[in-house]
Amino acid sequence: MTELSSILRREMALKLLKSGFIPEQVVATEAALSCYGYDATRQQTEPLLALLPDNEKQLKTILKIAGEKSLKIFPRGAGSGMSGGSIPAEDGIIVSLTRMKQILEIDEDNMIATVEPGVITGELQEAVSRRGLFYPPDPASLAFSTIGGNVTENAGGPRAVKYGVTGNFVMGLEAYLVNGEKIKCGNKCIKSVSGYDLTSLLVGSEGTLAIISKILLKLLPAPETVKTSLLAFSSMTAAAQAVNAMFKQQINPSTIEFLDQHSINAVRPALPFTLPKAADTVLLVEIDGPEATVKTQAEKLNRLFQDEALLIIDAENETEREKLWQARRKLSPAIANIAPHKINEDIAVPLAAIPEIISRLESLSKEIDLPIVCFGHAGDGNIHVNVMLDKNDPSQAIRGHKAIDRIFTLTLELGGTLSGEHGIGNTKSAYFNKEWTPATIATMQALKKAFDPGNRLNPGKIFPLK
Amino acid sequence: MREQSPQPNRAFSARTQGHFRWAQISTLIRTFSCFFKPKITCKVLTHKIDIMTQSELAQELKKCVKCGACMAVCPIYRQTGREEMVARGKLNLIEIISRNQELPDAWIEAVDNCLLCCSCEENCSKGVKITEIIAAARIRQTAAQGLNPLKKGAFALLKNRILSIARFIKLGSLLQWLLWRRLPRHSGLIRRLPLPGTDEKTVIPILPRRNLDDILKKRKPDPDLPPVLFFPGCATRYLQPQMGLDLIYVLEKLGFNAVVPAEFKCCGMVTWGAGDAVSNLKLKASNLKVFAANAAIKTVVTGCASCGHALKEYDNLPPESEILDISEFLFRHREKLEKLLKGRQSRKKITYHDPCHLRKGQGITKEPRWLLKLIAGENFVEMSHPERCCGAGGTFGLTHKELSRKILKEKTDAADATGAEIVTSGCPGCILQLTEGAVVADSKWLTKHPLSLLAGLLRSRN
Ligand SMILES: Cc1cc2nc3c(=O)[nH]c(=O)nc-3n(C[C@H](O)[C@H](O)[C@H](O)COP(=O)(O)OP(=O)(O)OC[C@H]3O[C@@H](n4cnc5c(N)ncnc54)[C@H](O)[C@@H]3O)c2cc1C
Ligand code: SF4
Ligand code: SF4
Repeated sequence: MTELSSILRREMALKLLKSGFIPEQVVATEAALSCYGYDATRQQTEPLLALLPDNEKQLKTILKIAGEKSLKIFPRGAGSGMSGGSIPAEDGIIVSLTRMKQILEIDEDNMIATVEPGVITGELQEAVSRRGLFYPPDPASLAFSTIGGNVTENAGGPRAVKYGVTGNFVMGLEAYLVNGEKIKCGNKCIKSVSGYDLTSLLVGSEGTLAIISKILLKLLPAPETVKTSLLAFSSMTAAAQAVNAMFKQQINPSTIEFLDQHSINAVRPALPFTLPKAADTVLLVEIDGPEATVKTQAEKLNRLFQDEALLIIDAENETEREKLWQARRKLSPAIANIAPHKINEDIAVPLAAIPEIISRLESLSKEIDLPIVCFGHAGDGNIHVNVMLDKNDPSQAIRGHKAIDRIFTLTLELGGTLSGEHGIGNTKSAYFNKEWTPATIATMQALKKAFDPGNRLNPGKIFPLK
Repeated sequence: MREQSPQPNRAFSARTQGHFRWAQISTLIRTFSCFFKPKITCKVLTHKIDIMTQSELAQELKKCVKCGACMAVCPIYRQTGREEMVARGKLNLIEIISRNQELPDAWIEAVDNCLLCCSCEENCSKGVKITEIIAAARIRQTAAQGLNPLKKGAFALLKNRILSIARFIKLGSLLQWLLWRRLPRHSGLIRRLPLPGTDEKTVIPILPRRNLDDILKKRKPDPDLPPVLFFPGCATRYLQPQMGLDLIYVLEKLGFNAVVPAEFKCCGMVTWGAGDAVSNLKLKASNLKVFAANAAIKTVVTGCASCGHALKEYDNLPPESEILDISEFLFRHREKLEKLLKGRQSRKKITYHDPCHLRKGQGITKEPRWLLKLIAGENFVEMSHPERCCGAGGTFGLTHKELSRKILKEKTDAADATGAEIVTSGCPGCILQLTEGAVVADSKWLTKHPLSLLAGLLRSRN
């Protein structure tokens, strides 16, 4: 920390305290600041200052004071990001939205919730479910990530196959430009064609365009019941065909998770049920809706695959359901036993390309001589690819790095995308121009410039550094 | 769905496999005392059985992958939204401040702001021994700065035979009425005059004239009954002796003779939490002697969640001896108990708060609920989030009043919403905190240990 920045830090902190911030909202000491320089990617930096506004007014004050010094701003939710979105990659201020966490309204007549960005996703789900309503997006981090972070990363989860991702539920937003001006987009209307759809633009913008201060979210009636089944198949192709058959036969699952062979082998010992030796792919399928519909659809599922599937287990109650889910929940710790480290990417491919990418990854794994474990969302083509390695072994580290490059190339060749849900952040920005043409990127950058001409809001993210 | 799902009991089982041992703490003192004023006598340091070295501590810190799952459950983070206050941030601070550096304020604040409620540990898919690390950090802090004089005095009472806690409380029981008055509805006192560290809603327990040991002097136990060792714990012994009597009565009804050695000392939990490793070791050593002297009695029961949690972590208990929370013990004898109750049930609506040291410390959730269903049948109702900490956290409620009250408020709101007349919890610390909560929120419910309700039913004639 240079002397200049420590003077600046003190000056800023004093100004904020004078304008009504309480000490616990102003983090200004070096040690404490180190806690605002990381996220789930485990990068470690330190911002100049970390500020935790309680409301819009304070947010505006921060932007004004930071603007006077042309300081850079890095928005932060819970810091659970998997692509380094909130990392203060340059000298600047972290604005942590965790204290703006009011659920402002649950409008039951219009089925819309209005929330502040720091609301924890799981808590919103709990609050609306008490009124018989349902907010479906379910990233695995829902118990601790914020809605604001979910919106800016366009987070998704297993239920995306039926309900869509966070963006599909955002009806409108209010957000602050880095110059302190507020913009409003969207509304409570289901149909709305009035100018550019800035709401959709801000969804997935990774905190680079504006700081979101209020969010309107669509709600649904809560499904009456959920039925969970586990199906094992002898090959990825058979499983993919099964997924396709489900859709064609008008079974409408709310979740179709898959585990590849390596995942199955890793998690098998931790499971409270036995999976056949020959199982190459496991599907975890959930059907939700009215009692009667769920029953007939589940029966249909059983009929349809009684010959192809090596095994079908239906959960009859909540305990059995939880048992089946262990196949997925115990997976992360289980694969940690394969190697001390993993490089984890969340590519997505068109549905039909799943068997192809899995088989190409298998060949890649042999070629680079590192295990590659895949699991994820078979219903929407989003695959978690884990290259397992020991980073302390230089040769493995190099091979791992090479593997990631190749994985992205393969993915794009098959019409896929770099990230299904975690975003680009600063960990994937180097690959960004693999996916998009120069003209496309230039258009995106022009948009960025329109929102943030000085490049002061979350710089160093999404776009490759020159 | 969740990738890093909470896995109840996993962290717990790792804990009971024996880390967290007092010997490790002794090693920690050793490691830290090399770098700070070595206030610790060498005599204590000879208690080494298992060794957690500096590098093991570093290894433990490395296990954290910064996923943030601990944010979902940390009561302090929930109220403050501050990253330094959640396990991830605390571990980060503990890791980056190297051992020969001075402790920055942020470090001290973070380490201080912890209820040692184990919520994070229960939710951590990496099994990081978070509370052990925080306790180690507190030992480091105490080694560097010394202990808060009030705590130092209090812990001296726990250890000292002449100026003992028993005598101190007896004196207090005579003087308490000058400054405090009885609560109209609850068992407890509130202040008459402004006193430092209190407000008009602070509830302290009534200090009884006669403690459990005094009362038991006149007891004539039946030596023919199979014996069970009863570890009452300080709260039961000195503050709520009736609870101890209730427990002894229930054991007798079930056909057991409760043996209550007067030589038992504090379980050590509060000294551990305060980073006073020396007192902690001494207390444990005394208790281990008592356990050894009674080694023939294999079953040890306690009605205090924190004592149970602490005792289960003791090393060197006599072979085959088994520490049980009273709810676990009763569950084992459920058939007999059901017969004894002959269908008698309370007609009051009852709810239950999971003590952290029972649920997250010992993995016990099923047995207390079985007991309450036995006591109240359909009248037992769950509150929302019974697992959330009440904010007591040993002395945390006294040292961080405002924050503790905020945490408590959510608990009392949840209790209010059930419409219950009685809020139960298997921990004297939680019960006192909940009582204060009822006073602050002006709620109508009373607070009780499930065991006292059971004893009441057993005593009642049909
Ligand atoms: C164990 C684990 C499991 C996960 N599972 C999933 C999953 O299943 N699906 C999934 O999609 N993701 C998952 N993630 C990734 C992560 O949780 C999501 O990206 C989440 O949406 C991030 O939310 P956050 O509040 O932590 O945001 P942060 O990580 O703090 O920030 C994320 C980005 O949003 C920006 N930002 C945050 N708040 C605002 C705001 N109010 N205004 C403007 N910009 C803002 C930040 O600048 C940053 O670029 C997982 C992460 C972990 C650690
Ligand atoms: S302590 Fe555990 S839960 Fe918290 S961030 Fe570290 S690994 Fe995750
Ligand atoms: S023990 Fe409790 S208070 Fe302490 S960090 Fe963990 S969850 Fe937070």
